[in-house]
Amino acid sequence: MPTQSRRSRAVRWGVPVAAVVVVGAAVGTGPVIAAVQGDPVLPERTAEQLLTEVARTAQQGQVPPMSGTVVETASLGIPGLPEVTGESSSPISLLSGSHEAKVWYGGEDKVRVALPGRMSETNLIVNGEQVWLWDSAANTATRIKVPAGEPERHQPPSPLPTAVTPQDAAKRLLDAADDHAAVSVTANDQVAGRSAYQLVLTPKQTGSLVKEVRLALDGETYVPLRVQVYAKDALEPAFEVGYTSVTFSPPAPENFAFTPPAGAKVEEQNLGERARHDEKTAEELGEHAEELSGIKTVGEGWTTVAVAPFSSGDLAALRDGGDEGRGAEPGAAGLAAGVLDAAKPVSGAWGSGRLIQTKLATALLTDDGWLLAGAVTPDVLYEAAGKK
Amino acid sequence: MSRLDTPAQTRPETPPTETQPTETHPTETRPTETQPTEAETVANGAPERAAPARRGTAGGTLRLLGSELGLTFRRPRNIAMLAVLAAVPVIIGVVLRVVSDDGAEGGAGSIITAVAGNGMMLTFAALFVLVPLLLPVAVAVVAGDSVAGEAGMGTLRYLLAAPAGRTRLLAVKYANAVVFGLAATALVAASALITGFLLFPVGPITLLSGSTIPLAEGLVRVLVAVGYVAAGMAALAALALLLSTLTEISIGAIAATLVLVVVTQVLGAIPQLAPVEPYLLPSWWLGFDGALRAPMALDDMGQGLLVFAAYAVVCGSAAWARFTTKDITA
Repeated sequence: MPTQSRRSRAVRWGVPVAAVVVVGAAVGTGPVIAAVQGDPVLPERTAEQLLTEVARTAQQGQVPPMSGTVVETASLGIPGLPEVTGESSSPISLLSGSHEAKVWYGGEDKVRVALPGRMSETNLIVNGEQVWLWDSAANTATRIKVPAGEPERHQPPSPLPTAVTPQDAAKRLLDAADDHAAVSVTANDQVAGRSAYQLVLTPKQTGSLVKEVRLALDGETYVPLRVQVYAKDALEPAFEVGYTSVTFSPPAPENFAFTPPAGAKVEEQNLGERARHDEKTAEELGEHAEELSGIKTVGEGWTTVAVAPFSSGDLAALRDGGDEGRGAEPGAAGLAAGVLDAAKPVSGAWGSGRLIQTKLATALLTDDGWLLAGAVTPDVLYEAAGKK
Repeated sequence: MSRLDTPAQTRPETPPTETQPTETHPTETRPTETQPTEAETVANGAPERAAPARRGTAGGTLRLLGSELGLTFRRPRNIAMLAVLAAVPVIIGVVLRVVSDDGAEGGAGSIITAVAGNGMMLTFAALFVLVPLLLPVAVAVVAGDSVAGEAGMGTLRYLLAAPAGRTRLLAVKYANAVVFGLAATALVAASALITGFLLFPVGPITLLSGSTIPLAEGLVRVLVAVGYVAAGMAALAALALLLSTLTEISIGAIAATLVLVVVTQVLGAIPQLAPVEPYLLPSWWLGFDGALRAPMALDDMGQGLLVFAAYAVVCGSAAWARFTTKDITA
């Protein structure tokens, strides 16, 4: 073959090779540029200064109007959690895999969170006193009534981090931080294209499964942009929620306007009233009420253990109910089945039961009908089981 | 098939343009030397020969594309595929109509309910059903056949004998497949729209986000979805074209394309391979549902378009490198 043709052949094949390189570079440049540029430079702040700023913005509701895309990634290692739920926009699917949510925040009383699914979408829209939950797959709009004069959101205690926005997650974190964690500042980072401070909270108590929690705060507004929870002995965060894109400008008002579309089922729920009722009875009945409402806690800070009356029969019922395809959500049934299968029998001075371990949380089902759970090592649970 | 006819009859409009020496490979067998073809005779006799070079190039390309499109849309097997594609929305519509008449409400998926409530949603339902497999089949057949089919029939050398240049010929083949993909998508949408308008009530449209938009804006959203899907099919056409330049057996190129389409979709469905999913072409096809959100998910769809462009550029350039350097023996 003539050398000229060989050269021409090489030159021509160089074009697709160049195209691959260009595309590869376009895909990979983000991290590379970040690595080359190094950590973004921001004015020095101590951990305490940052915490104050965060507390100030969080408490006074001074979070500036913003909108963006939040990606939540959980690899909690929950046994048998059906991964198929990744396609659905059901909230229970947030417990595994990676999920995207769109957030529009126009102020304390104007919030919209959308969970897009394949040809479906779940929306939570808060506009003043109107709170709507729209589920396109079920074609159902649920109006959640929050009584006036009770603006604070009621958050059920949960051993699993299920917060949807970084703000929520950060607020919970700071509540938990208090005196129980060492707070420090580490190298600044880029989050959603913005320079951010990074706070690191390291639990002081040894029984905790959490190695550290990293909180990225926007360099200008101190809005929490990302929360990463690292489990002990893990390099990758077990739970992460953060913005992948964010704009600090007021979102369009039509995002918060919701009227149930024609033909949709409309339901009503009085969430606030129920919560208030629970609180009142709890106050009135004192100690006794804790058993009634079900959940009490043992320990404090990062090693808090939630204790609730529970029989493994309930879980089995949930699983069986799911199998019949009625009542319980399929995701919940799958979860129950997986949990039951993975539970390993344990016993000790405190009695006997079954233990479920994940990267970030441990749960103990005792044979005498209690459920103990927390982000702690099994030993802490055994101790709590002995005390209760 | 018409391809069995002599090239001069099937391609009376083969453009006469100046030979581009850079486009022809030195080792290429030149049929003109051994057998002066009818194609060349026709080319020499064509009146545009005297036209200015630049205009002749652009006009010639268009002319070539025109004749290519004419062949594609006149081919019985392509017409049959388009007919099947157009029939699917009608079938879905009729079935839904019958089912909803029976009063069997609920239980079925959300799209089904939405179609029963608004005929416009049938367009999106039909695209949702056709985009994963049937539409890619149609595009793969046309694009996969484009070069390999000519090579297999022995007509490629005649095409190259006409001084169109390999680059231009390949570009025309690709444009032809892209236009076919767009036509197929638009046909599905049009068929679904007509069926929907005839069988179901039509009015303001409820988006996935729960907000309602007027009918006219809904038609715009249909156009956006059609454009997005057509872009996805154009990316697939580039892949099929690349495979088509690698073989002389058109069914091989078509089958290979479809195997890739199916395998990548299976891979995309395996949860453990989730990190790979964003790099696979079919994962982005269904992103047209972004047109049904409020506000429109332009960022996600934009990302999808970038993926399509990346596939088109990589596969297209590889096809070009292969086609302009390969020895045409048939």
